[in-house]
Amino acid sequence: MSDATPRILATHLENFKHQNVRILGKVTQLRGENAQIDAGGLITILLGRDSHLTLNHAVEIIGKVQQDLTIRVLASTDFGTGVDFDAAAAVVDATHRYKEIFYGDE
Amino acid sequence: MSYNNYDNQYSTTSYGAQGGAGGGGFIPGDGSQNSPGSANRGYSKDTLRPVTIKQLLEAQPMHQDGDFKIDGTEITQVTFVGQIRNISNQTTNITYKLDDGTGTIEVKQWVDSDASEAQVAARPKLVENDYARAWGKLRIYNSKRHVGAQIVRPITDINEISYHMLEATVVHLHFTRGPPESLNAGAGTGAATNGSYGQQQQMGYGGGIQDMGGNAGLPAMSASAKKVYNVLKTMPQSNEGLHQQAIAAQLNMDMGEVARAGDELLSAGVIYTTVDDVTWAVLEVD
Repeated sequence: MSDATPRILATHLENFKHQNVRILGKVTQLRGENAQIDAGGLITILLGRDSHLTLNHAVEIIGKVQQDLTIRVLASTDFGTGVDFDAAAAVVDATHRYKEIFYGDE
Repeated sequence: MSYNNYDNQYSTTSYGAQGGAGGGGFIPGDGSQNSPGSANRGYSKDTLRPVTIKQLLEAQPMHQDGDFKIDGTEITQVTFVGQIRNISNQTTNITYKLDDGTGTIEVKQWVDSDASEAQVAARPKLVENDYARAWGKLRIYNSKRHVGAQIVRPITDINEISYHMLEATVVHLHFTRGPPESLNAGAGTGAATNGSYGQQQQMGYGGGIQDMGGNAGLPAMSASAKKVYNVLKTMPQSNEGLHQQAIAAQLNMDMGEVARAGDELLSAGVIYTTVDDVTWAVLEVD
């Protein structure tokens, strides 16, 4: 599937290098053009011009995994404070365990 | 072919053509009663399936009339959640491009020319980058797939996205692997999950999960067929089985409905007739 953006956590970064992925995490640090989110582990993300992140809010990032396992953000969506991270982690688990309905070739 | 205009809250105009030339045709109604396009099928087969967009893009076409199968079972209505990438307002419809992380698909919501201005104003406004949930039918037109949607609504609780992905996974597993074995014991947790599915899904799927007790091999069938089957399995009876009348009395169903359910079960090969055509027993496979 060419335009699928599989949901991942920090542990999957290594396996998805140079691919577009979707990550739901909690904003832990804001440092100008960079930020840090917690998605089952800390991930450094490089922000685009129109990304406005809020500390401690959940954010869904769509971006490309770089060689150094940081993410170059293509789009971000603020998900607020009501996110159930356990459910989100379950979705990531299901995504990879049953990937036939989430990403990859048939 | 002529189709009546069904006047409901989400009314749409239908252009007559459907199936292969599905671009102009759209069948309104909630699927369980009013489906002029499926007059040859009977309403008991209509279902609502939670799916991922990837599943829609890879759904198997069945015959010429534009029906599809996902995970080996026919789909009628589908529901899914995605982020709006694009909104295109056209004269006859609003086209949303929805992306749920598994793929992108166009969702066409027909413009209701009869709706009053107040009705239109009351509808929740959707903007790009919002997440929305859509309900509708998968269609194909000029080899391109899209969804003809009756309802496209913004998501209010952000966890609905996670919920939908997990629900789609469960349903996918149900159709590819059969109901989970833990439900056969009729355990409390199993029953609790089943209750919510039963409420949210229409017959075809809800019936599938609720049926437990070693019925892993039972094909998807209507709710009344499931009820009749369960009575045949559990009600005390002689080795002649149960008469149609006894089943109807037990379930408080009318004879016609029991007869139809019986036909379904007979053709599925899970029951058989004993002393006469209207006395049935469950086919036990040891």
